[in-house]
Amino acid sequence: MIAEAPILTASHPVILVGNPNVGKSVLFSKLTGKFVIISNYPGTTVEIARGNAAVGDDTVEVLDTPGINELAAHTDDARVTCDVLRDHPDATIVQVADAKNLRRALLLTQQLAERQQPMVLVLNMMDELDRCGAHIDARKLGELLGIPVVPTIATEEIGIELLKKAAAEVGAASPPRFVGFPPGRGGDAAPTTRLEELLTRANKILAQVHTHIRPRRPSFGQKLGWWATHPVKGLALLALVLYFTFWFVGLLGAGTAVDFCENVVFGRQVSPWAIRLVDAGLLFPHQHDTQESRFRLEIPLTPAHGIALHESTAAVLAPTYSYDPGAIPGWWTQAKRLAHDFLVGEYGVITMALSYALAIVLPIVTTFFLVFSILEDSGYLPRLAIMVNRVFRTMGLNGKAVLPMILGLGCDTMATMTTRILESRKERVITTLLLALAVPCSAQLGVLLAMMASVSFAAALSWLALMIVIMIVIGWLTARLLGGPTSDFILEIPPMRQPQLANVLIKTMARLEWYLKEVVPLFVLGTGILFVLDKLRVLGQIARLGEPLVTGWLGLPAETSNAFLIGFLRRDFGAVCLLEAATGPQPLLTPHQVLVAMITITLFMPCIATLFMISRELGRRTATVITLFIFPFAFLVGGLVNHLGNWLGF
Amino acid sequence: MSAYLHCPLCGFEFEKRDTACVHGCPLGRFCKLVRCPNCQYEFSDRPESMGLLQRLFHRPRPAAVPRDALPLPELGEGESSELVCLDCTHASRRNALAVFGLVPGCRVVLQQKRPAVVVRVGETELALDLDIAREILVRRV
Repeated sequence: MIAEAPILTASHPVILVGNPNVGKSVLFSKLTGKFVIISNYPGTTVEIARGNAAVGDDTVEVLDTPGINELAAHTDDARVTCDVLRDHPDATIVQVADAKNLRRALLLTQQLAERQQPMVLVLNMMDELDRCGAHIDARKLGELLGIPVVPTIATEEIGIELLKKAAAEVGAASPPRFVGFPPGRGGDAAPTTRLEELLTRANKILAQVHTHIRPRRPSFGQKLGWWATHPVKGLALLALVLYFTFWFVGLLGAGTAVDFCENVVFGRQVSPWAIRLVDAGLLFPHQHDTQESRFRLEIPLTPAHGIALHESTAAVLAPTYSYDPGAIPGWWTQAKRLAHDFLVGEYGVITMALSYALAIVLPIVTTFFLVFSILEDSGYLPRLAIMVNRVFRTMGLNGKAVLPMILGLGCDTMATMTTRILESRKERVITTLLLALAVPCSAQLGVLLAMMASVSFAAALSWLALMIVIMIVIGWLTARLLGGPTSDFILEIPPMRQPQLANVLIKTMARLEWYLKEVVPLFVLGTGILFVLDKLRVLGQIARLGEPLVTGWLGLPAETSNAFLIGFLRRDFGAVCLLEAATGPQPLLTPHQVLVAMITITLFMPCIATLFMISRELGRRTATVITLFIFPFAFLVGGLVNHLGNWLGF
Repeated sequence: MSAYLHCPLCGFEFEKRDTACVHGCPLGRFCKLVRCPNCQYEFSDRPESMGLLQRLFHRPRPAAVPRDALPLPELGEGESSELVCLDCTHASRRNALAVFGLVPGCRVVLQQKRPAVVVRVGETELALDLDIAREILVRRV
């Protein structure tokens, strides 16, 4: 068995194919036990996922593919699927079908059957079919098609074992044949295209296996779905969703949770203990300063009001210290001081990198990913596409582009990959540019929300308005520059579903794990660079070099130069540095300066990883052009806002 | 022009790139022919270039549209109808609709018109641009 397994894996993989949003990924994770992101909208999967499933005594490789409606590569994600099918001519195809939409699935079944590969048809979401008041005779369907048909409810793990058995059996049997088809055309309307011909055939099969009883009244979920796309009710619902997100992420996450983690967990416990520990290990004569740490536990209602539950102040050790320069002779003491500073100094790994990444950004992304996962699973996001289609048209995009844009609020790198669901290169370039330019990712969004709390509500609104205006103007200009038609807006709307708590939690945990693995090392690296530059006394020189730009043009204090410098690495890291300057007992920045800094850092390139992803998806040249545009543009807009503000007398 | 080409021989649909011949033809990019990657059949992607011949021998008759057919957006919201034909100029658009089950003879329920048209075909809810919806001709039932 052990010797056989790899051979079997290599020769007969199982490929999950099917229409978008039918539950291929759910089935994949149930078959293999591997985690993949599962959401309720078409286009969640844009890349192949691989895993191994135990079938009987054997191990079989299972491949999850992006959804396709027909076997033609119109979009890049469909191309991925077609390529996989082409590369594995000996694989067993498991076609996953939404039982409610069997007609469309049968269209694909017929196209797949032409490939002459062993095949199984899975009727997924049988529970939803039941709720629709319909019934499918799976056995008869299997007889008609000549292939095994397995009804499943993937989310409840019903029918998984049957599917494994069927896939194993069919893999050894002869290729599928279609029986019971009246060949050629027929019916009242003569079909004119091939797809119509296939659909006519599908109708004939359906007539024999599908019985339908109309449900008496639409469910609450259905009604909610209709409200979400209604011109007036939809806007009201959107406002409600936005306010809830703002309250949960901006006030509860970025306010209360960050306050607690930063001031109590890190400020009073972790940092002082780390300082004491390092001081005990690396002895050199110095005296740490103390600072006052204030903490207020409250349930926020609006940015200015809240119900205070608890308030406390404490004096804690600060990373800054005083020492007598003459009292440190010898290189050994100097080396110890260097190590001390690297760990707990002003630009220390523990006192800066970890406290920023874990105490400020982590609570924010946690709350954001929670809300985001709920929204994803509810099926609300594609409905947003209907609401914004008109606006997106002016940017040379259509409503579909709202999906990557919203995903960009989670992570711009992932969202750049999701642009594959768009049909033309023009749309992908525009969406990628707008993502990189003006859509802040979760970490940065949270920091920005926290910064907004330190300025007025009007400033926050003007930030939002400016970002929207920039998106529309830049989108419009880019569309003019690139030319070409915008592709048709034809988007399938998934049903509204109640999010499952388990999936929401698992998804949030998975994204947090990704955050900890990818972002925290970058924070440490950035801090390391700042530390080295500071020790080499280059930081001061860079600040002086950046003076005409930062102080002259943006009107910000020279100390903020390093925030922008580190913003090249990750713009949310830059934003955290600015947040530190904007808040605290003696804020370095005036409200007007906070606004200018916020706008400039928002327009920066999201992070190094996004740059790599753009270069992978669109090519190195486009990535270079986008980068060369973004940074000067960020400073240009920031400066304009500064001078406009000064002129208006802020 | 549509971004997708439709091979008249095998019906394969493909994007217009990598469609030039590979055998070092001196015409190079001035060649008006494209080659279907599926069946290698070469054809002109600009049918108007054969204008005269076409006018002489192949006069396309306007499709016979039944009298009682009307564009989809002229229905009231919530009204049910039967699809008569797709009046699309591009084959790719007709294809894109067909994969969702929008073919002559199917039942279509118009759910809303604003801000975008939403129709229901079987259990599929589909959002469309208004100008695409106008090309869908239906009959009230």
